[in-house]
Amino acid sequence: MLDIRSLSKKFGSGARAFHALKSIDITIEEGEFFTLLGPSGCGKTTLLRLIAGFEQPSGGQLVLDGKDIAMIPPNHRPVNTVFQSYALFPHMTVAQNVAFGLEARGTNPAEIAPRVDEILEIVQMAHLRDRKSSQMSGGQQQRVALARALAPRPRILLLDEPLSALDLKLRKQMQVELKRLQRELGLTFIFVTHDQDEALTMSDRIAVMEGGTLQQVASPRALYDHPANRFVAEFIGEANFLPGTIVDDKLILAGCPPAPLPRDTKGGGPVTIMIRPEQVVVGAAAEKAITLDGRIEALVFSGTDTHVSLRLQNGGTLSLRAPNTSHAATPLTEGQSLTVSLPIDALRVLPEETADAA
Amino acid sequence: MPHDASASESALIRDETRRRWSLALPALTVITLLSIAPLAVMVAYSFMQAGQYAGVEPGFSLDGWRAVFFERDFFDDSLIPATAHLSILGRSIALALATTALTFVFGIPTAWFIATRPQSSRGFWMFLITVPFWTNLLVRTIAIQEVIRADGTLNRILLATGIIDEPLQMMFTNGAVLVGMTYVYLPLMVLPVYAAIEKFDFRLSEAAYDLYASRLYCLRRVVLPLMWPGIIAGSILVFIPALGAYVTPRLMGGGRAMMWGNLIDLQFGQGRNWPLGAALSITLTLVVLGALIWYARRAAKGDQANG
Repeated sequence: MLDIRSLSKKFGSGARAFHALKSIDITIEEGEFFTLLGPSGCGKTTLLRLIAGFEQPSGGQLVLDGKDIAMIPPNHRPVNTVFQSYALFPHMTVAQNVAFGLEARGTNPAEIAPRVDEILEIVQMAHLRDRKSSQMSGGQQQRVALARALAPRPRILLLDEPLSALDLKLRKQMQVELKRLQRELGLTFIFVTHDQDEALTMSDRIAVMEGGTLQQVASPRALYDHPANRFVAEFIGEANFLPGTIVDDKLILAGCPPAPLPRDTKGGGPVTIMIRPEQVVVGAAAEKAITLDGRIEALVFSGTDTHVSLRLQNGGTLSLRAPNTSHAATPLTEGQSLTVSLPIDALRVLPEETADAA
Repeated sequence: MPHDASASESALIRDETRRRWSLALPALTVITLLSIAPLAVMVAYSFMQAGQYAGVEPGFSLDGWRAVFFERDFFDDSLIPATAHLSILGRSIALALATTALTFVFGIPTAWFIATRPQSSRGFWMFLITVPFWTNLLVRTIAIQEVIRADGTLNRILLATGIIDEPLQMMFTNGAVLVGMTYVYLPLMVLPVYAAIEKFDFRLSEAAYDLYASRLYCLRRVVLPLMWPGIIAGSILVFIPALGAYVTPRLMGGGRAMMWGNLIDLQFGQGRNWPLGAALSITLTLVVLGALIWYARRAAKGDQANG
């Protein structure tokens, strides 16, 4: 439905030009909850502003329903935005704010009032329709901003970190509501956030961005289980990284006997091995695992499990989760020696980092 | 016992009230001396008899007020409406309104330009706006005269380039007064409008574009309504002093394009009719007050309609 083709954006020119986006390619499907995730300055907001039309690309195409919209001004694009600051019109009431897009577009006045009522009902703000935005809480303003952007029935709804100003409890609640709303309306959402939890909970697919380039586009599960590189592995969830080498289809970690390669792994030479803390098993395993010895450096109790920081004999460190089962033989203590094993199929072999992919 | 309690309580309230009044006393004194007292003197003078050479003489008289609206017929001494006064008042209001409109036309783009500069250079542009205040009003007005008088800079340029064959008469016209006043009062429009634009959140116009608004629609529905308080403040700041302007119409308009301020001056000077001068001053105050009350009522009504 929306094809982003080698889209790039640079600000300024000459030697001082800043490349905010470097040739981005993404295809977003109809009805998808698509998230742009990355640290601040990664280009995710620039990409959203290009889709909204507030910025013009330096190169590439934005094809919506088969038509290149890259140079069409924002007021002629069938996309609407929920702004981070909400940007509600302070001199208008809730109902006037929601009606704005319909009026500006020249919708038949007889159709505007019912549509405003309908959309205010959906976001549960009908009882505050005559309030001014300055007289509302952050959560209420958020709902009005959502209603205002939804009222003109856009093809795509753009959301620019809309939940970042809310407190944690309200944020969790709005995450659920947004997701429900998106399902019910069957509308395509493009959601920008720097919060990986938010992205994992709500999205159908996530595009991880860094330094103006796309790192990986995948479902939350695939991103977590099969990160494409070290940046993605580190940005989503927690990860252990161990240096290793692949020689003759055998994986070699410092101080360990050669082990078989994980499934679907090829290549040779120096690599980075990634394993999630919860995949590390306490104790020696018999088959298809690498066994490591170490000394416990720190223990942090966290209810269901204990976070263990292990100093390995080969010099590295490893964090893992030890489940807090009541029948555990002996409780762990700091300074104690511990043997752990890394199941081969939980290991991910990442390409060795080059200086700069660009 | 209850009686005692309430007695001490009311004593407490009395003390508190006295304390508050004494705290407000310095401010009240200043306001009374500088604002209310001169006005009271003017009101009193307007109801007294004119002195023979100048000043006023004790004794109640309505001659001053009568002279504002009527004059004695030269031949039969009957009362006829003072049309000269009316036409001067009319010209004053028209010129003040035109000045306000012109400062608006020039002031809005100026203020917009300054408010949209980077933060670091705004101070410099604001500084330029205040530069004219460093020079005496009289000197600046004479400088404008130099430009537009019969053998002034403008006429010489136009003659030299052959656009005109004989000098244009620009001095001592309503147009000359208008140019002078627009120049003098322009900063008073720029400053409040600048403050309003600087406060404007440009993300709101972005939101309007996103919601299918054209530039014009955004200006009408979002930008102007939010800048309105600044525009109104600027208009009031320009209109009121322009209505009572004295120096500029005197120098640029001479005796032909007289304004209300010059008429007042005339009564206290050559006319030697202080009660009439005082009554003319009070009339001007009442006109301004009436205009402000009319505006405040309208604004209140507009608020209700919007709310």
